[in-house]
Amino acid sequence: MNKQRTPIFKGLLGNNIVLSSLMVISPVIICGDTLRNAAALVYAFSAVTFLAVTISSFVPKKLPYTLKVIIYAMISSVVYIPVKWAAQEFFPGAVVRIGIYFPLLAVNSLIIFRSESELYKLPKAAMTVRLIFYIFGFDAVILITGFVRELFAYGTINEKIVDINTPISGLSKPFGGFIFLGLFCGLYRWIRLIVRNRKNEIRSDADVSGQ
Amino acid sequence: MFLVNDLIALLAANLILTQALGTSTIFIAADSRKNLVGTAFVITVFTFFGSAAAYYSDKLLLEKYSDFKLLIYVISIGILYVILLSALYFISRKKFENSRKYIHLSVFNCAVMGTLLTVSERASSDPSFMGLKNYMMAGLEAGIGFITAALILTAAYRKLNSAKVPASFRGFPAMLVYLGIISMAVYSLI
Repeated sequence: MNKQRTPIFKGLLGNNIVLSSLMVISPVIICGDTLRNAAALVYAFSAVTFLAVTISSFVPKKLPYTLKVIIYAMISSVVYIPVKWAAQEFFPGAVVRIGIYFPLLAVNSLIIFRSESELYKLPKAAMTVRLIFYIFGFDAVILITGFVRELFAYGTINEKIVDINTPISGLSKPFGGFIFLGLFCGLYRWIRLIVRNRKNEIRSDADVSGQ
Repeated sequence: MFLVNDLIALLAANLILTQALGTSTIFIAADSRKNLVGTAFVITVFTFFGSAAAYYSDKLLLEKYSDFKLLIYVISIGILYVILLSALYFISRKKFENSRKYIHLSVFNCAVMGTLLTVSERASSDPSFMGLKNYMMAGLEAGIGFITAALILTAAYRKLNSAKVPASFRGFPAMLVYLGIISMAVYSLI
């Protein structure tokens, strides 16, 4: 059971692209200060990454690495155009709010490098599932970050005022983003360590009882 | 006094400390002096010449086709990528083998692409900035900013990765908090 679950949830929990590999952290640090921004980033990242990686998976594998990387980047910059048009339609103001981080999402490391080193080595179905969970992993982190930073920095949740006595305005600034993400990353690793230790204990107990 | 002003201006314009661009690359670069020099040099080359390409693209591209800006930047950096690898290959095979990892690591990096987009945005908000020299200088500044931030991180790299730091916070989390504190100090200067 465990063996089947691990690869599927790998991108969401065990190998989260933001907390574990520190990929795509600039938008999280700079733009992840409100839930509205987080929602816009979720849309932009999910749409661009899913489409770009799926389309790029049809690029012949025999091509030289350099050429493949350039083609992946070009495909994602083409995919970015309709995604941006749709964002202007469905998330008015989001493109302006996110600024340069919107196009930067189109050339993220998951599309350009991780796909080549890991995803394209898998069969298409497994690649798609793993990609979706990598995307979910990013989405979860940005939504949690947006929620917590907005709550403590502005005293609001999705722009609705809540009762926070002492807002920490620094959390909305880039340095607040760095510090919050560092702490979040540490917490994530701490939980992972506890889970791993518990699994090892269970395994060693099972070995002892097996003997 | 001029030196202090220049230093403050350099820190204030630092893309890593103020915009978090290229943060994950800097963590790899700060690992060793060799990596730091290699990555910083390649990133500076990309930002410097990439900014020149961005200038011509911004100058020639019509406003109604501005959505294609990213694609043009990607093609420009892609051409630069091939030129750099080819030049290195023909100059010396040994150098090519030793240095190509820095080129692969730096191309399409947030620090590079972010610089081009930031410079372009600056030019569109301030028309007086629109000039090849300004673009290339901004690209060079970004590269120097990367080196400055990498040096700041290198100074504490070993301590942040030492056994004295709790296992959960050792490495990346501690480095993020450290960069946050440096970023806070820079923020107070602006």
